[in-house]
This record gives sequence, structure tokens and C-alpha cells, in this order.
Amino acid sequence: MKRLPAPYGLLINREQSISFSFENKAYQGLAGDSIASALAANDQWLLSRSFKYHRPRGALTMAGQDANTMVQLPSNPNALADKEPIAEGLQVMGQNYSGSLENDRGSILGLFSRFLPVGFYYKAFFKPRGMWEKWVKLIRKKAGLGVINQQLEPEYYDKQYKFYDVVVVGAGPTGLQAALTAAVDGCEVLLVDENPILGGSLNYARLDTEGTLAKEVRDQLILEVNGNSNITCMTNAMVNAWFADNWLPIICGKRLYKVRSKQTILCTGALEQQAVFHNNDVPGVMMSSAAQRLMHLYGVAPGKTAVVVTGNDDGYANALDLMDAGVNVAAIIDLRETPKATPMIEAAIKRRLKIKPGYAVYGAQQNGNHLSAVEIRKVVSQGICAEVGETISCDLLCMAVGYTPTYQLACQSGGQLSYDDNSAMFTLNNLADDLQVAGSVNSYWDLGNCLEEGARAATIATNALGFTQADIPEAMAKESQSPNHSWPIFAHPKGKEFVDFDEDLTIADIINATKDGYEHIQLVKRYSTCGMGPSQGRHSALAAARLVAAATNKTVAETGVTTARPPFAPEHLGHSAGRSFYPARRSNMHYRHLEAGAQMLQAGAWYRPAFYSPQADYGPSLDSAVCINNEVNNVRNNVGLVDVSTLGGLEVRGPDAGEFLNRFYTFGFVKQPVGKARYALLTNEAGVVIDDGVACRFSEEHYYVTATTGGVDRVYQNMLKWNAQWRLDVDIANVTSAYSAVNIAGPKARQVLAKLCSDIDLSKEAFPYMGVREGTVAGIPARLIRVGFVGELGYEVHVPQQFGEALWDALMDAGQPEGIKPFGIEAQRILRLEKGHIIIGQDTDAMSNPMEVQMGWAVSRKKPFFVGGRTISELKKKTPSRSLVGFMINDTDGPTPMESHLVLNGEQMAGRVTSCNYSPTLGKPIGLAYVQPHSAEAGSQITIRANGGVLVTAEVVTLPFYDPTTARQEL
Amino acid sequence: MKLLTCPLNGQRNISEFTYGGEYHPMPDPNTTDSRAWAEHVFFHDNAAGVVTEWWCHTASSFWFLAERNTITDKVIRTFDTSEIFNERVDFKVPDAAEKQS
Amino acid sequence: MTDYNPLLPIAPAQGNRRSPLYRRHVDLQAKFEQVGDAVLVSHYVKPGIEVLLAANLGLVDLSTMPRTGFKGAGAPAWAASQRVKLPKLPNTAVTQKDGSVVAKLSHQELLIVSNIMGSATSIDRLNREHLNREHSNKEHLNREHLNREHSNKEHLSKQTLAPQTYSLPRADSHSWLAVTGNAAAEMFSKICGVDLRVHKFAHNQVAQTSVAKINGVILRHDLATTPCFYILSDITSTEFLWDSLLDAMEEYRGAAVGVAAMRSLAANK
Repeated sequence: MKRLPAPYGLLINREQSISFSFENKAYQGLAGDSIASALAANDQWLLSRSFKYHRPRGALTMAGQDANTMVQLPSNPNALADKEPIAEGLQVMGQNYSGSLENDRGSILGLFSRFLPVGFYYKAFFKPRGMWEKWVKLIRKKAGLGVINQQLEPEYYDKQYKFYDVVVVGAGPTGLQAALTAAVDGCEVLLVDENPILGGSLNYARLDTEGTLAKEVRDQLILEVNGNSNITCMTNAMVNAWFADNWLPIICGKRLYKVRSKQTILCTGALEQQAVFHNNDVPGVMMSSAAQRLMHLYGVAPGKTAVVVTGNDDGYANALDLMDAGVNVAAIIDLRETPKATPMIEAAIKRRLKIKPGYAVYGAQQNGNHLSAVEIRKVVSQGICAEVGETISCDLLCMAVGYTPTYQLACQSGGQLSYDDNSAMFTLNNLADDLQVAGSVNSYWDLGNCLEEGARAATIATNALGFTQADIPEAMAKESQSPNHSWPIFAHPKGKEFVDFDEDLTIADIINATKDGYEHIQLVKRYSTCGMGPSQGRHSALAAARLVAAATNKTVAETGVTTARPPFAPEHLGHSAGRSFYPARRSNMHYRHLEAGAQMLQAGAWYRPAFYSPQADYGPSLDSAVCINNEVNNVRNNVGLVDVSTLGGLEVRGPDAGEFLNRFYTFGFVKQPVGKARYALLTNEAGVVIDDGVACRFSEEHYYVTATTGGVDRVYQNMLKWNAQWRLDVDIANVTSAYSAVNIAGPKARQVLAKLCSDIDLSKEAFPYMGVREGTVAGIPARLIRVGFVGELGYEVHVPQQFGEALWDALMDAGQPEGIKPFGIEAQRILRLEKGHIIIGQDTDAMSNPMEVQMGWAVSRKKPFFVGGRTISELKKKTPSRSLVGFMINDTDGPTPMESHLVLNGEQMAGRVTSCNYSPTLGKPIGLAYVQPHSAEAGSQITIRANGGVLVTAEVVTLPFYDPTTARQEL
Repeated sequence: MKLLTCPLNGQRNISEFTYGGEYHPMPDPNTTDSRAWAEHVFFHDNAAGVVTEWWCHTASSFWFLAERNTITDKVIRTFDTSEIFNERVDFKVPDAAEKQS
Repeated sequence: MTDYNPLLPIAPAQGNRRSPLYRRHVDLQAKFEQVGDAVLVSHYVKPGIEVLLAANLGLVDLSTMPRTGFKGAGAPAWAASQRVKLPKLPNTAVTQKDGSVVAKLSHQELLIVSNIMGSATSIDRLNREHLNREHSNKEHLNREHLNREHSNKEHLSKQTLAPQTYSLPRADSHSWLAVTGNAAAEMFSKICGVDLRVHKFAHNQVAQTSVAKINGVILRHDLATTPCFYILSDITSTEFLWDSLLDAMEEYRGAAVGVAAMRSLAANK
């Protein structure tokens, strides 16, 4: 392990050595190292194999911005080796090879690359039909990226909200200055950076000929930021998207921070771009910034002999840095014919650097899996080189040919990126409100300009927030000198000039896509997959745009770049999932059900007992159907108790309460007598049945209305919405949770209830069917409703929520001599089906009108208005297309149909079953089904296609199946 | 995630709200013709531009109205329903049936 | 309404009114106490330790404590006539002389929670007064009803009625939990989208929002210098909310504590 001396190696701790392995070979690194930097210190440059041709790849950006460094960790595929810190004992493997990383049998694919043309998937595998299914297995095997560890233990990920006045994204010089200026009294500032330390380019770039300025500026700015209590710094934190109204998801460790910012300043900097030439992907070829990161952040010399290819002064700064670090710089290849003499170039000349102006790197040569030499040639015209050149031996090629702004977040906010072909400069326009860009993302490169722009953006932000009323300085003049060379792209007869490293796409691939007719940049992207790999076009977008522009005779400005959607960087599924919340609602009697052996099921958020399987009574292996049938029989013959706490409850009170219900439900309620309940059917404006319940009138101005378990919240919201328009003098309250409720039903219900209810006369005469009363049950204040959902003598008892368990206990105790047993919703469904009652949502669908479901009787024709009334009167004029009827299956040998089984008329669909169960009371299957009107008469035979395609004949019967004279429920 | 300002509860994440559809006045159900009624119930303008919408703050069940530009997705303002509905609405008894049930 | 035998040890399920969390408390080996009608957790571990826990981050179940609500165009004026000090703005609260807290949820809706001593005198009185009023209204209406039947004039005297006040069964519809301590706001930021930091969300401020996907009312009501947030939310989801809160609190070493710790902190002037 070789390291440059301090102050090189800002991130590493030389005192703390860490052992890890790569490709099963042991390595030593230092605390603070990334996997890639630690391997580089051990002269291991090859990190992975490319996606398509399995070409050897090494570090390109050293900033986590490319896919070259993807490695396999035990818990995590596709980890970025230049971001991922090493850890003691960490086992790292390469990816995407067969055999070994050093010797990949799959790399032979490169030799056949002319058989893998652009659009290859579309062209090669889709004919004949079905071929793709065969090919896909082979392709997936060849082209997989990493392996998921399916034995992995789940880890705890979490989410957290944060609130700031100003969020500054990027802690380079511009961001540091912006944060400092924004941190006025009372202004809470968040400064966030994806790197482990603040400083951005100040940590590795050379800004002056001496190489001292960056450190001076950095130390000063960071000192001030750290000393400012209004600034919170988050490092190792990725702002992974911009969402509406400055909602910034920030990923840091195992947490997704949901940051709401009032003013956002993007100081996201710029991404250095590669030169495009033959074999530009060979390990040893890297961005100049990557070489500087290796030296300054990790203390690793990026090579022994370097060549720098440049189109700007940064290449010279890079060369000076390399020399200072003891790297032999063989030559600077300057794409410019006559570079302007600047202090940096003069310093390079003074240091006797060999400069080749007007030259390009035409191709790279490799020895094994590493760079061994470059061929340089004179540039003749745009993209064209002289016929001959010279070869320079080197093991490092640094590319400094320009940058693209890190525009992704700005564009997600609606910003538009434009490029000026003449100046080779980018601009960002149409940014969201309350969002600004500053620094190199906005094409300012000079340090002084960047600091001024950062301060300016911050002042605009604090003014907008009302913290300051400062004069906003003029924007700095646009810089005249772009660091972007306009055409660092040189085609080679042997190709392999990579535009997109992720997808192994070369110049020819992009040109051929346009030749295949895909001229628009968005189509080129989809056809060629350019920019669709893990690095999302960070390094291919500009080169591809230039090539498409040239091939289609347009400017780059006209061609544009493709959209950059969130997320900016890959994120773990755990970050999106976070802590899981599955709300659960439990009735106050929940544990009594569990104690009685209930099998619970979830209906929405509610837990409800499906049926009870009490082991003491029936033994452990009892069939659920037996349990359910026993429950049904006990209600029919004795008395049963069911928890109906989940039923919706709405208080409708006030002088207009009756009028309100008259308008809201289909029935009439104004003249409903006090002390009576009335069925309440709800339709929407389209006349579709959407809910039902009963309205209990407890006084002149007080109705207690029930609603379905799943529908009550929507019913309540609808009630409020309508009355926001009608302005009736009525109060509506959702008291669903405020009441625990049971239905005690069966011929012996009165007998049991009478033991606990001294202040209500329960006699048939005093408290008839559909009566409602207030009183006490077992000393608990209660509302009693005589309803007949299950078709027996029954009372719904509604008590304040926290009394539910006590009520349950009292009734179960009191009913013991009568043989009271709890019953679940499965038994309740059978009981109501026997009685012919429909369940809204099960026996109705999004088209069901009241007439179809035989509820015409519940629609008042005498009201001036009710919701759905007009549509229902229109529907009545039409011939009905279907009818919900009861059916019975007399031949009990065949299969029992199930919900959604089809009713057939010959070969044609004629309807469907909505409910069907074996009826213990009738001894045969019964059900409800939609049928065509001509089969709706009692006595009609219908054909149902049951499981396995078996045709079952059923007889249409008049509802209800059970107790048509209602003698039992009116007992 | 968008923010929406509830006139009662202030600015909140849009996930705290329920959308209630576009607001358009209901034609008189007793006099309007079938076509106009069908358009009211089944057809929606889906206009590009500023529309008025119903929104409900779910936690407080508070309904209000919002003017939103459907092109820019900018909410121009939110306001109390009393701004539009400021008096009690009553419906005339149709001639055919004078008595309420 | 409920009969307690003062000779028996206090058990969470001895009365008819039971917290939905009482089994959780028994599992945590809680010591219970009785205040008026309510059985609630006094402490789980040593009261002295719980004060320290609560000052950092504590979760208290107050679900059996008195609370009520009134709503309607006449509610504020009626409450004022009952010597209730009213908050000026919706989503703020005012502490009453007896320590109970009156919060305004909208211009026409009040939520009233008792002091943590559980002395419900003012809440009981308000409920009683309202019930009496309802009764006399009902009688009045029945007379009107009869008059209308005879005279057949539908709208005869409806106009003369005062604006209405309606009671809301807050003690039954909503559970009442308290989150105490200096880490409370930070913990809330993991499960609630409203900024509850102490310098952004004042003492006696109210937010109607979602906590761990459950809709509820958050009322900040400090215990002397210790931040404290009441959560009133759907009573049938209480166990889910309790478990979610304890889970979110773990990272800050939060714990369930009894009402005794709250009282100690409140006395810590």
C-alpha cells in the first residue's frame, strides 16, 4: 500500500488500517478509503466488467457518478466502489464476468460486437414469434448486474421529516458561501453534500499556480460555516430528487429525510466529461478530477507516467498537481490549436511540461487490463485527425475536456437546459419558484464569481423569506471562456470510442440509430439505450447530443438532452419502504373474540371475527364450515351475539336534520316517527347505490344513522360536502368509533336482554320491530335498535366505546342459561342471505341502481329532491337490462357456485353470482345473482358455470328465502 | 409532494387532503332537460386552465374550494365554501307530488 | 355510572370503562390508580426513574381521563356563558382556572380535556348543563311539534330557537395519549408531517393532522418547562398508535411512563 504524504489524503486516517478482500484476495486500506481508493493504493485498478462486452473497467470519476466501479457486496449488488467505504472484513467481488475478473471468457463478446448492432434487441430476437422467450434467459444470464442475497435479514430503515427555511444543495465554494450569506438571524439553513466532508472542488482542485488558494478558501469558509449555529450540515447525504413545492428526499445512511425547504439553492456543480476516442474506457483512462481526487482525498498517486488531454486550463492545473505528487507527466495534449496564454499555462511552460497544442488522443493501447500507451494525432478539423501520429507510453491518461452542469434537480423542478453552440456554454432557465442555481451548475467557473453568485442567491432567498430587505446585486457577467471543448470526439476505423460506458455504446451506435430513422434525441435514447444505464447519461448525454446534432444537421441547442428523472442516484428499496404502517382498528371486544377462539380477518383496517372455533367444544381439527353452521343454527334456534362495532354511526342533529336526510337518502324521513328506525339507502348523483343503513329517530331533531363499515367515512365526507352547499341548520358528526355495538339475535334474545334491561319495556307491543329506545343495559347507557338483518328477533345494542367489553361480558353471562354463543361475520352473511338482504359492495357494483336490486320500494317518489333522484327518474324510463334475484339449487350433488361465477344464457354471459352459500336452515345452496329481466320471474331456471366449468342449474325464487311472513323477526 | 393551504388548518402536505372533484353548479334537477342533467352527472370539463375544485382536509373533515391552474399545477388560492354558498338552498316541490312522505 | 368497590385493589378492568390499552399496561406490570371515574397507570417502574424518562421521552395513556366536546353555531357563546375561557383562533387552546384545557378546532367546535389530576369538575358540569339544556330543548320541541300538528304551520316557531350547541362524545370516540419530553418533537418528525419543534409549534397550539397514518388532534400542553404533546385520535386504533409510537421512540430511549411522572414534571416550576 503506497500513499502520498500529508497533506495529501484529506479523507484517510493513516493510523487506522483496515483489512478487506477483493475477488477473494486480501487487501489493506485505511479508514476513510473507498473500496476503489484502497484498491488503487494497492495498484489494483481493474474493478468490474462492462455490461454488454465485458470489457475491463476501472475508476472513471472517483465520485460515484459512473457505473464502471460497480461491485458486489455480500448484502448489496451494484455498490459503487468509489463511494462505498471499506470496512473490516468486507468481502468485495467484481461483477459481470464469467471465469475471473482478470480473465473474463465473456469478454470475447467484444470481438463479435459487429454482430451486436444498435437496436440489437429489437432487431434480433423478436422474430419468429416466441423467440424472445428463449433468448431472454441467455441474455439475462450474460447481462446481469450483481446478485441479490435472498438470505438477507431485513434491516431497519426509517423516514423523517425536516423543515428548513433555506436548503443549499452542494457544499462546494458556492454552496458554502450561499449557506453563510443565508444564515441571517432566524433563518434555518441546511447545507447538504453527498461527500463525506464539506468543500466540494476546494478539496481536490487546483485553483492557482501555487496550489495553495483552494485550501485557504476552504479552511476559511468551513470555519465560518461550522461556527454558525443557523447552519445545519448534512454530509454523505444525497438529495435524490426535487419534488413539487421544494420537497427534497435526502438519503443519508438508512434514513430517507423528507425535507421541506422554503427556498432551495442548487450549488450542485458540474460533472467532468470524457473525451471520446478509440479504447477510451481502458482502466488508467480517467477524468482529470478523478486523478486529483485520488491524490488529494486519498493520498494515492493515480499512475507513474501520465498524459493529460485537455481543452481547458484545468488540464494544466491537473498536470501541475500530478508533477507535485511525483507523477511523471509525459505530455499535455491540448485540443486547442492556439490556447490563450494564462498564468496556469505559463506555469506549466515554466515547469518544462511538454505541450502538444492542436493535438488529440486518437486511441489508447492496453497491456493486459491496463493502459500502456496513447496514440496522439494532429487535429485537422472537427473530429478529424491527421493520418499519422505518435505513440506515448503512459499508464495514466487524464481527460480535461469540459463539464456538464449537474442539472438533474434543476430540470426536475421544471428548468430547461440550453446549450449555446458558439460559446459551448450551458444555461438553465424556467426554474421553479423559490429555487435558484449558483456556481458552476450555472456556468460560472471563476472562484470569485462563484462566491459572489452564491451570496447573491442567498440574498434573494432571505429577501423572499422576509428575513432581509437587502439590495440584490447584479448577476455576475457571464464568463467568456468556456471550459468545454466543442468537439472532443474522434472516430476511429476500429471503433470502440465509447460514448456511453454503461451500455457499451460507441460513436457508430449513435450515428446508426439516427440512420435507422430515430433522429429525435429521445428516440435515440430509447432505441440505443444511451443514457439508460445506472449513471443515467451523466457522461453520455452531451456527447450523444453532439453526435445526433451533427448527424441530423442540427445544432446541439436544437437537439437538446434527454430528461433526467428522479432518483438522481440509485436508492435501496428499504429507503422507499421505510418504517411500515398498517393501521389496525380493534373493537373494544377484540380480546373477548380471541379468547373465544375467533378466527380474525381484516376488513379494511378493522379486525373482525370470521367465525369461532372453540377447541373445548369442537376439538382442534374442526372444519370451519361446521363452526359456521353451528353458529347459524344457534341464532335460528337459541340466541347469538355478534360484534357490530365496526358499523358506521353518524349523528345528524338540528332543526333541519329530517330535511337533510330527506335530501341525502332515497327514502322519506321528515315524517318518520320519533322512536322508530327507517331503512336508509344512499345513491350518488348517477343513481348508483353506494351505501345503506338505518336512520333512528331519537327525538324531533336527532337521528342516529348507521352506515356500512367500509363506507361510513365516505358517507360522512359526502354529507358534509352536500351540506356545505345546502347550508341547512344541521350538525353531522361521525361517531363510528364512539360506539361499541352488538346484535343479540335469536328467538331467545328478548329473554336474555330482559335480565339486564330494567328501564326499557321490551315487550312486542311496547318495543316493536324497527323501534328504537334509549336506556341502560347492565347499567351501561345504551341505544337499542330492533332490526332484523339476520331475520330473527334481534336488538342492536350501542354503548359508549369503552364499555364494549363490559357489555359483551354481561350479555354472555346473562345468556348462558339460554345457550348464547358468539357468531362471526361468516355466519352473519349466511343468515342475512337466507333473509334475502343484500350487502352493498358485494351484491351491488358501480352500476347498480335501486330498481335493479329490488330496492325500488326504498325510493320516495314524493320528494322535491334527493341526491340521485333525477337520474333515477331517468333510469325508470328505460328498459332494465338486469335484475338481482334470489336462486336456489335443488340438486345438491354438484359444486356450489361462488361469487362472480357466470350466469349463462346458452353460450352467452347473462349475469353473475354475487353471493352464494350453503344454507343450513334450508339444507341447500342459495344465492343472489344478476340475471337478464326475462329470467327474473320466480320459477325461471338459470344456468351457472361453477368451478371447473361445471354447469349448475338453479331456480329463481322470490326473496326472502327464509321467513317470508317476517313472523320471526317481529316476534 | 405538493403543499395545499387549508383555510382552517393552514399549509399541509397534499397527502392530508381528499380531492372532491371539480366544482360546477348543479342545474335545477326538476326543470333541466335530460341532456343537461346527463352532462352535469357524467361529463367533466377537464379544462386546461384555472378550475375550481373541491378539497377536504381529511383529519378535520373540512371542505373548502381551491382555484388551480391545471396547466402549471399551481394552486392560485383556497377559500371557504361560504364564499360561493352563502345562503340556504331549497328545492321546489314538483307539481306531480305536493306532499312529502 | 360505574360502581367501584373501594375495598378492592385497583385493577384496570374493574370498571365498565376500560382503556383499550389496559392489557398492554398489565403486560408492562403497571401500578394503577383511580381518579374519580378513571383507572389509569400511575407508574410502571420506580416513579423517580420515570420522571427522568418522561423528561426525555415518555408515552402516557390518559384514555380513561375526562374529556368532552361541543359543536354548533351556538357552541362558543354557550360555553362562554358557562364561564369557559375561549381561545380566539381555531387550532389554539386556553388553559382554564382548574387546569383543564379548551381547544378550538374550528370556529364552531370545542374540545375540552381535563387537567392531569383528573379532577373533572368543570367537564362534568358542562356535560350536565348541556344535557339539561338538551332536555328542555326537546320538551320545547315536542310542544312545538304538537302545536304544528294542530295549526299545520310548518315553520311557525323554528326561527325563534337559539343557535344550536351539540355535544360530542370525545371520551369515547378518541383515545388520549401524551408524549412528553425534550425529544418528543424530534420523534414526531418521523411519523407526522407537521413541524412540531418547540420554537415552531407553541404551547397550547393545536394541529389536526395524521400521526402514523392515523388522523388525530395534536395539542401541545407543556408540563411546566417540559414539552408535552397530547394526541387525541380514533379510539379503535389506539393499540396500533401506541405500538407505533413506542417503536418510533426507541431510537431516543423513549418509554411508557405513568401519570405520576407527568404530575412531577408539571410541579417542577
